[in-house]
Amino acid sequence: MDSTTALFANAIVAGLLLGGFYAAMSVGVSISFGMLDVVNIAHPAFILLGSYIAYTMNDRLGLDPIAVSVVLSPLFFVLGAGLYRVYYLCFEQRGQESLRGLAFFFGILFITEVMLVLVFGVDYRMSKTAYADTTWRLDALDFPMRLVVPFLVSMLMVVGLQLFLSHTFFGRAVLAVAQDPLALRLMGVNPIRVKERAFALSIATAGVAGAFLIVIQPVQPAIGREYIGLVFAVCVLGGMGSIWGTLLGAFVLGLAESFTSTFFGPSWAPAVSFGLLLATLAFRPAGLLGR
Amino acid sequence: MANSIRIDGLCAGYGSVQVLERISLSVNDGETVALLGTNGNGKSTLMKCVMGIVPPGAGRIEAVIDGVPYDLVGRATEEIVGLGIALVPEGRRLFPRLSVEENLQLGAYRRAARAALARNLAFCFEAFPKLIERRKQLAGSLSGGEQQMLTLARALMTAPKILLIDEPSVGLSPLLVIHTIDKIRELKQRYGLTVLMAEQNFNQAIRIADRGYVIVHGRIEFEGRSRDDLSNNELVHKLYMGL
Ligand SMILES: Nc1ncnc2c1ncn2[C@@H]1O[C@H](COP(=O)(O)OP(=O)(O)OP(=O)(O)O)[C@@H](O)[C@H]1O
Ligand SMILES: [Mg+2]
Repeated sequence: MDSTTALFANAIVAGLLLGGFYAAMSVGVSISFGMLDVVNIAHPAFILLGSYIAYTMNDRLGLDPIAVSVVLSPLFFVLGAGLYRVYYLCFEQRGQESLRGLAFFFGILFITEVMLVLVFGVDYRMSKTAYADTTWRLDALDFPMRLVVPFLVSMLMVVGLQLFLSHTFFGRAVLAVAQDPLALRLMGVNPIRVKERAFALSIATAGVAGAFLIVIQPVQPAIGREYIGLVFAVCVLGGMGSIWGTLLGAFVLGLAESFTSTFFGPSWAPAVSFGLLLATLAFRPAGLLGR
Repeated sequence: MANSIRIDGLCAGYGSVQVLERISLSVNDGETVALLGTNGNGKSTLMKCVMGIVPPGAGRIEAVIDGVPYDLVGRATEEIVGLGIALVPEGRRLFPRLSVEENLQLGAYRRAARAALARNLAFCFEAFPKLIERRKQLAGSLSGGEQQMLTLARALMTAPKILLIDEPSVGLSPLLVIHTIDKIRELKQRYGLTVLMAEQNFNQAIRIADRGYVIVHGRIEFEGRSRDDLSNNELVHKLYMGL
């Protein structure tokens, strides 16, 4: 391979690996916003909470962050279920979900961030794993393990979620619940319970994505905000409420970012990503795979 | 086994607006009963009360399912559906961004219905061949007539014992109304359903109804104990035939 080809090929590899990580961060938002109409802008806060829990277990006990996050995902599930309960009782039940719900989740985002600052301070934290500094080489292609491991686990999680949602009765109820909750009741389904469990699932994915984040890069409490824009761009680009769409959107933005960083410099990456988003929406307002 | 509904002294409304005033009616095992009434007289409200969507202010609603009596007042809608009572609602209420097949599968959510999913699905496709052709199409993009069939089929997927149908003829061409009413009769016979059907189209409803009630301003103004009884009634003539 000559050097330009190698640069090009490596940009593709890095873009796909990055995309896999973006998909893990976005899939929860695709569920809460896209399928449930729950305006959870606090999603990045739960990602960060996942990062810090993984960090603590890694730092104190030397456990692998990603393994910890998978084992603790039921905890995030319960947290998500509880949060939805509160949101439902205070807002949704009274039909005040739009603006006040947004304020509620903004508050959760803010409070979580402040709590993390109080407990961990504002310094960057990193995890230590055996694979973080190793890179697997194939010819001229680089496969940095700190991206490969999250990528693989993310694919398992995202594809697993998609299969679960498209092939089970529960999954179909999740797809239907925002379209007409009363009609769902007429099918003998309790829409509140469906939303609670689906929202809990979305928060469980945030915990795992948080572990990916701290494996990939150093983390500090305010970093969540940097990812809000990206996560929404991925979901909107792919099509709200479509998990295959979210995966595709994540790959497209991962590739766009990787290519602009390689050939033009990292500071151009956000501009290109959002330019791409706007161009796509001009031609396909529902996103790439939106129904 | 016996499936029936008995409503006694039912009062209901929305906020301060009283819509139903001491309604009493019954649907016996295996009957098709028509609830006749023009716009805004409370047909849908009555159906919603039975399904637990609108809470009654007073009165009793009791259902017998497979010989076991249940008090329906105070139960959640999904619980009532779980007992084996289905509503084909006004306005169809399909899941527009799900496919025809997904809509039907959602109908079979409750446990008793899942067991019968394959059989019921095959029957729905046999009864409504149009739906097979369109099985992958989004429900929101179906024609009005196709949507009405899908709504009926989806309600059947819940494997009900008692079926409430709210104005199946709305928005359909005269020929489709005839077809839909024929289908309802066919489905009823095939599944041995007990049916309460709200209709404005008297001539069509009377084709399949064993008997019926006329509801005016939230009161039962006339109870026709047979088809002939209804056809020969003066109030019915005044309301439906402009005589
Ligand atoms: N959600 C509601 N809030 C307030 N009033 C309502 C509501 N739904 C219905 N009503 C009123 O209750 C009365 C009866 O309505 P209902 O829908 O039961 O009539 P209907 O017999 O089904 O009429 P149609 O044949 O037009 O469907 C009407 O006067 C209507 O305005
Ligand atoms: Mg009505």
